[in-house]
Amino acid sequence: MNAILEIKGLKKQFGGLTALSGVDLSIEEGEILGIVGPNGSGKTTLFNVITGVHKPTEGRVSWRGRDITSLAAHEISGAGIGYTFQQAMAFPGLSVWENVQTACEHAHRSDRSYPWTTPAALLDFVGLTTLANERAGVLPFGSLRLLGIALALATRPSLILLDEPAAGLNDKETATLVGLVQQFPAHGISVCVIDHDMKLMQMLCKRLIVLDFGSKIADGPTQAVLADPKVLEVYLGGAL
Amino acid sequence: MHLPPAPCAGGTFIQKTDGPPVRSAQQRNRAVDILIQQILNGLSIASVITLIAVGVTLIFGLTGIINFAHGEFLMVGSIVTWLAVRGELGFPLALMIAVLAVGLMGFVLERGLFRFTLTRPTNGFIVSLGLIVVLQHIVIFFYDPNQKSIPRPLPGIWDVGGVRIASVRVMVILVTIAVVALTFAMVTRSRYGRALRAAVDDRDTAALMGIPVRRYITGVFVLGSALAGLGGALLIALFPITPFTGGTMVMKGFAVALIGGLGNLTGAVVAGLILGIVEGFSAGYGFSAWTDAYSFALMILVLLFKPNGLFGGTSGPKMA
Amino acid sequence: MNNTLSPFRSLVPALVALALLALVPALGPSNRLLSLAISAGINVVALYGLSVLFGQTGILSMGHAALVGVGAYAAALLARDTGVGFWLALPLGGIFAGIAAVVIGVPSLRVSGHHFVIMTFAFGQLLTIVLTNGGDYTGAATGLDLQLPVSVFGTPVDDLMPYYYIVLAFVALSAVASWAIINSPYGRTLRAIRENEKLSASLGINIGRHKIGAFVVSGVFAGVSGVLLAYFLRHISPGQFASFPSIYLALMVMIGGARLLLGPLAGGILVSFLPEVLNLDPVESRILYGVCLIAVILVLPNGLIAGLLEGWQKLFGNAAQKRADNASANAKHAPEAGR
Repeated sequence: MNAILEIKGLKKQFGGLTALSGVDLSIEEGEILGIVGPNGSGKTTLFNVITGVHKPTEGRVSWRGRDITSLAAHEISGAGIGYTFQQAMAFPGLSVWENVQTACEHAHRSDRSYPWTTPAALLDFVGLTTLANERAGVLPFGSLRLLGIALALATRPSLILLDEPAAGLNDKETATLVGLVQQFPAHGISVCVIDHDMKLMQMLCKRLIVLDFGSKIADGPTQAVLADPKVLEVYLGGAL
Repeated sequence: MHLPPAPCAGGTFIQKTDGPPVRSAQQRNRAVDILIQQILNGLSIASVITLIAVGVTLIFGLTGIINFAHGEFLMVGSIVTWLAVRGELGFPLALMIAVLAVGLMGFVLERGLFRFTLTRPTNGFIVSLGLIVVLQHIVIFFYDPNQKSIPRPLPGIWDVGGVRIASVRVMVILVTIAVVALTFAMVTRSRYGRALRAAVDDRDTAALMGIPVRRYITGVFVLGSALAGLGGALLIALFPITPFTGGTMVMKGFAVALIGGLGNLTGAVVAGLILGIVEGFSAGYGFSAWTDAYSFALMILVLLFKPNGLFGGTSGPKMA
Repeated sequence: MNNTLSPFRSLVPALVALALLALVPALGPSNRLLSLAISAGINVVALYGLSVLFGQTGILSMGHAALVGVGAYAAALLARDTGVGFWLALPLGGIFAGIAAVVIGVPSLRVSGHHFVIMTFAFGQLLTIVLTNGGDYTGAATGLDLQLPVSVFGTPVDDLMPYYYIVLAFVALSAVASWAIINSPYGRTLRAIRENEKLSASLGINIGRHKIGAFVVSGVFAGVSGVLLAYFLRHISPGQFASFPSIYLALMVMIGGARLLLGPLAGGILVSFLPEVLNLDPVESRILYGVCLIAVILVLPNGLIAGLLEGWQKLFGNAAQKRADNASANAKHAPEAGR
């Protein structure tokens, strides 16, 4: 397995506040990586730096060897990195079908083996076929999350970043989500999930990275990391 | 060596025995005279514009609504003043009536129209566009599209060290300074001002803390309108107005508000001052044909480098 | 579900309307009515441009009349200084206005929504001032005359009726162009930007470039409209293209409905002809416009046509439940598909 996304020495300061203080990590091809950390640990900042919302104070983000540190948001997508947001995002005034159709028109590779190349295929995959003609703005929250996944998939990314994808979902919806995401690596899409939900991480991720106060404090197989005393301390002995 | 001639004595062109000709002191005075007059001129108009700018910046800060009809509020203030003076009421009383009338109009419009656009401020802007058209043409309908003016409330011209200053201009500037200072003091020092600033910062939290945000919104509309009414009364004291005067004035008012930072009270005042001086200088040096362009050109330039204005504005209330 | 029928179906009402309009001269209208119709048509061309900018991309610009002015002045100056006539002036006017749109758009789009609107207003005013101060070259405040005649395949067009058909042809062209944009991937991208910019960027859409592009497209429509106007009025002056004419254009497109294909046509015709129908003088009619705009934006924010469609659905939607469901599904998306 080789690293497709590499982050070296990433620092981000907002005025006097240090959100990230020198983070090194990499995402391996074909894996589902989890990044966890308590509030304020820098997870969202990390996500925002990778996706081009913020420029880091120091450090480098490389994608398949190419420096993407200073790319704009739409260029990140163009490079083959798809992402979904913490707040479920869609195009509210358009129908579900139109949402996905629009996204499909911005696909970034023409891989014939990619299974989800049409709006019908995407809606079928996430299970939103019956809601195709509904306006996205009136969708129930769980469906909105699924739509977000469909939109990100439509651009045919090689890596998907999911920012708290299960936030606001009940157990059944979470299980559905996990079932979907687990299929990505088999189709050439590596995954990185950023979340709080430890149960989700245990279900989904083979490898886990833990952030605390902007630094990486653990990096390894999920079970090992969850048993790491440093990690347990950070979570104040909360049941994992 | 030569002695300078006495001021206001007949001017003579004095020549040094060696070197280039030197203007007489009196001719120097005349150039400075004109410059000072023009700066005062610029400042008096800028006073009216600042009154508009303060009104729109306060309204925007709390509601996110860009009320383009504010210029018509000004115009209505001028018309009311004109009517009152025509009705033999004297300028000071006319001014007060204008302030009250336009303030009342602001109240009615907020309760009757703008209140429905609070969740979508862009609609408030579009409503204000409709209002411009309606207000302008109602005035034309009842009166006519021609110029209206009132006799100078302060006809005197003061002579200060050789510079001739129209006293009415000074009055306009002083009244504006007083009112703006009062508004400023209220917003920064009073309890209401603190509540207002809290509501501007975070409307939802302010409401949760018991601040009656809706009432403050109405209040801000009334205050802004009253200021516009005052501006209208002052404006017609300076120049004749037409039903279309509101249009140019509101654009400049917004330009000033944007230069200072939309939503930023200090910014509006400082920007108004800057504009007044710039326009005065330009007229003083003979570029009056371009005077109207400065506010726009300045605004575009400022926004290019500081998209939130010189002092940073708010971006309107945070929507849920 | 596939909506593959809708795109062509959405063009039909517009084509029908245009066909009806083509029959108008056969009814023997007075010169005055014909003049009004030509003015309305010229506005409609500009309104289609505004509908791409505002209806599709969600950008509210108050500088549209200025772009019309660029087209008009380009036509007048070309005729006076280079002898370039009507047919060549049309694309050139569109190009010049497109360039002006870049000049206005690039600085304006760097600032947020509220500032943006005011910037476009300011540019409009600035253009008027520049034209007024342009001395003999631009005709200053009095403006310019346009002397060149319009001729079609060599025969000069002197009457109103032939010019009506020329304008109608451009209205049809604008409507079809607008339809093509709305139903293309480009149109979908613009709507995506309108609906959610952040999400659009995450899908790889270059927001800045598309916004400027939409501006330029709207400018081209406006420029063509300006050339048509100049050759119709034969005399143009700066005051016609200032900020307040921009308000009237915005008013027309909002009353008709910025997102529907019939919207600009309806808005232009309504605003031009309502005073005639109601026998109002210019002052009264403008009061009515203002009131209509306020009413429409508060009650029917998608414009009159959309409101009528929705009202129709409510009244007759219970006919056959299944058919009604399908129809309402299509109608709900009519604003997007451009019916």
